[in-house]
Amino acid sequence: MNAIYVENLSKVYRTRIKEEGLQASFKALVKPVYKEVQAVNDISFTVEQGEILAFIGPNGAGKSTTIKMLTGILHPTSGRVSVLGLDPVRQRRELSYRIGTVFGQKSQLWFHLPPIDSFVLLGAIYDVDKKTLNKRIAELTELFELGELLQTPVRKLSLGQRIRCEVAASLLHEPDILFLDEPTIGLDVVIKQSIRQLILRMNRERGTTIFLTSHDTGDVERICKRAIIIDQGRIILDQPVKRLKYDYLNRKIIAVRFEFPQHLEVPEGVKLEKSTDISARLSVDTRICSIDGVMRWLIAQGGVADITVEDPPMEEVIASIFQQKEGKSQ
Amino acid sequence: MKSLKNIFRLIGLYFKVNLASAMEYRGSFLLQAFGMALSNGSFVFFWWIAFQQIDGTIGGYDFRDVMFIWAVTSSAYGVSNILFANMNAITRLIVSGELDTFLVQPKDTLINLLCARTTLSAWGDLAYGFILMIFTHGSDAGAWGMFLIAIVIGGLLMTAVCVSAHTLTFYFGDASLVGGMAMEFMINFCIYPEGIYRGFVRVIMLSVIPTSFIVHIPLKLARNFHPGWMAALVAVSALYCCLAYRFFYKGLRRYESGNLLITRL
Amino acid sequence: MKAVGKYITVLRISLQNAFVYRSNVLGGFVFYIMFMFVFFNLWRAIYKSGEVAGYSLVQMVWYLCMTELIMFGCRTGVFFQMNEDVKSGSIAYQLNRPYHYVLYQFFNALGGMIFNLLLYGLMAIVIGMIMVGPIPGFSFSTLPYSLISIVLGMCINFFFLMALGLTAFRLEDNTAFYLIYQKLVFMLGMFIPVEFLPGWLQTITRYLPFSYMTWAPARLIVAFSWELFWAVVPVQLLWLTVSFVLTMGMYRYGVAGIQAHGG
Repeated sequence: MNAIYVENLSKVYRTRIKEEGLQASFKALVKPVYKEVQAVNDISFTVEQGEILAFIGPNGAGKSTTIKMLTGILHPTSGRVSVLGLDPVRQRRELSYRIGTVFGQKSQLWFHLPPIDSFVLLGAIYDVDKKTLNKRIAELTELFELGELLQTPVRKLSLGQRIRCEVAASLLHEPDILFLDEPTIGLDVVIKQSIRQLILRMNRERGTTIFLTSHDTGDVERICKRAIIIDQGRIILDQPVKRLKYDYLNRKIIAVRFEFPQHLEVPEGVKLEKSTDISARLSVDTRICSIDGVMRWLIAQGGVADITVEDPPMEEVIASIFQQKEGKSQ
Repeated sequence: MKSLKNIFRLIGLYFKVNLASAMEYRGSFLLQAFGMALSNGSFVFFWWIAFQQIDGTIGGYDFRDVMFIWAVTSSAYGVSNILFANMNAITRLIVSGELDTFLVQPKDTLINLLCARTTLSAWGDLAYGFILMIFTHGSDAGAWGMFLIAIVIGGLLMTAVCVSAHTLTFYFGDASLVGGMAMEFMINFCIYPEGIYRGFVRVIMLSVIPTSFIVHIPLKLARNFHPGWMAALVAVSALYCCLAYRFFYKGLRRYESGNLLITRL
Repeated sequence: MKAVGKYITVLRISLQNAFVYRSNVLGGFVFYIMFMFVFFNLWRAIYKSGEVAGYSLVQMVWYLCMTELIMFGCRTGVFFQMNEDVKSGSIAYQLNRPYHYVLYQFFNALGGMIFNLLLYGLMAIVIGMIMVGPIPGFSFSTLPYSLISIVLGMCINFFFLMALGLTAFRLEDNTAFYLIYQKLVFMLGMFIPVEFLPGWLQTITRYLPFSYMTWAPARLIVAFSWELFWAVVPVQLLWLTVSFVLTMGMYRYGVAGIQAHGG
């Protein structure tokens, strides 16, 4: 059984247009005017158990709408959704026992209580028996290093500590799938890193399927094996992350530092993006020249102190994908 | 049945946990309790003076009667704000999207969200009713019996009214003002004798805003128990609560279809 | 007199502001109508078994219309404004401005109070007329004098509230003062006319300021007499002076406290 199965899923929001002024209000009452927004447009995909998948796209692309339909909060307009073999709309309660959620801006923790109290409450909500719950809390406390935090009221915790508790809370009932909607939004780099690591551990140690939405490509790069790019309600791309970079950006970045000042005459296919007297950042078009060749050339210059070869940043990958797709459709 | 047991277990747990956390705010609790005692006390003062200066009943009630409905109102208010304090926040939860957090959990959404918070000062309101009863109805077993029943029913009805008012948010956008007004109206009509009102208002008090079922009918029953009226009280109250429950879920379906005036992205 | 000009400007702006937010009054109207409806029913029932010395039912209802007008319609948020200013720290700016903080607050609130007096006043008249009809013996020629009393009552209330509010400069939580004050006003004139109180309490009340905010102006409306006018208005003026002096004193006391703590 697939973890998630989505077929021709669509969601159309129908909202009443409300204009300013008393006259307009009256008019709207008698003859309401509706505006239709197609948030999700005929998307299909399948997720296997144990996968880590990211839904990425710009704001308003339909990410949150999709995740809400997967968790049963929102009813689809058309299409099929099946999560763990269950219909999120009709079997929401049954499904909710088996999924965990972390919604970026909303908290499951009680603000004035210490996390341990929230854990106990959530245990009761998810019908976890006491023994199992205690064992689970102990495990998660160790895993997430929550030791001293458990007894401190949530409002007194730092943002990073709170998020850790938040993710732990979502795992108390050992869900098969963890849904995360923009979990790292608004967080600084350090906290983002720790959350990403936690998510990876969950997947590694428990085989928990991870479905996350984000418009931070760093999330994708660090955590996910597979990415679905969505824009304006449509799936643009559905591929393993490795292939994304490979297929869509034939570039590598080489950063080099020399021991003494150098003047570089770059060969064809190599662009000098930044340089000082003793360092340089080169962009290599791998269709034209090989990494091997470029590195040999650099070493031949003499006095190489440091050299790194990197993939281009994810933003560039995505941006270029959009460009290419747009170019194709035109 | 297991799910019913689980719900009660959850409510009990919420109660315990909320109480413990509220204990942190003891200081402001004392102040609020003081304010409430003062406020309620000033009304007792008024009624005491009124019955001193007047011979006979007012609206068909004597002093003890008025104190009874005051006690019921105060304690019922206490019950609903101790157990279901989040009823006042429903609009905020809807508008901010926090409602989603409850939707995703495997328990009855309405009950779950209602019990998630408590108001510590409501204990003061609860206690006040008991204190008033002690002073005015001493060892009147019949009155006490009805009092206890009334505060449970009253608490549920107050919650039902608040929930129904806030459910309007699903349909019309921010209804928090309506919610607040509904509660104020209800309480204001609960604290005066039934007999002062004429026909139309009494119909309202038996239907839209069930004041009569919270205070006036229990008083009638305390004076003169009648199994028929008792059954009617329980039946109508249960019906009212069911309707409020259904109304909320109807509104919730709208929320889940995403067709609100409020943009949810 | 440049100083006067400053305060007149403050007043003008606060009037304009009140006008802009006039729709907020609607919510208050709903409550006002509800209160009056309940009170009307209540006193009509009371008058079946008894009465208040010196008031017919009609007068009693109009009495309440007036006291509710003054204390509810024209209520001022000055008490909590003090708390707000201290908590937000804006007090530092306020104290350094080229006007007197107390006078500024007064003229600022005055705009709202005048505006509400007009609107709620109309509402009060409409409600009163609908419920019990006109006041017997009422004469428009005496209305301006009664209005003086109403305005005096509002001002006395304002300054006492401000005096109490200024304790925020020194105290952490002064809400208790507000609660006690409100209840005293409520019991001694607003909800219960002085004549309805037991004798001993009536005597005490006449030495307290509370009834001069509510009972005095309301009584002048429902049963005007020059005798009454000359009996209460001077006392109102006295209490106005007392409350003003008290406020100024509290202000100086409070500011000294702030300076001591380093602003």
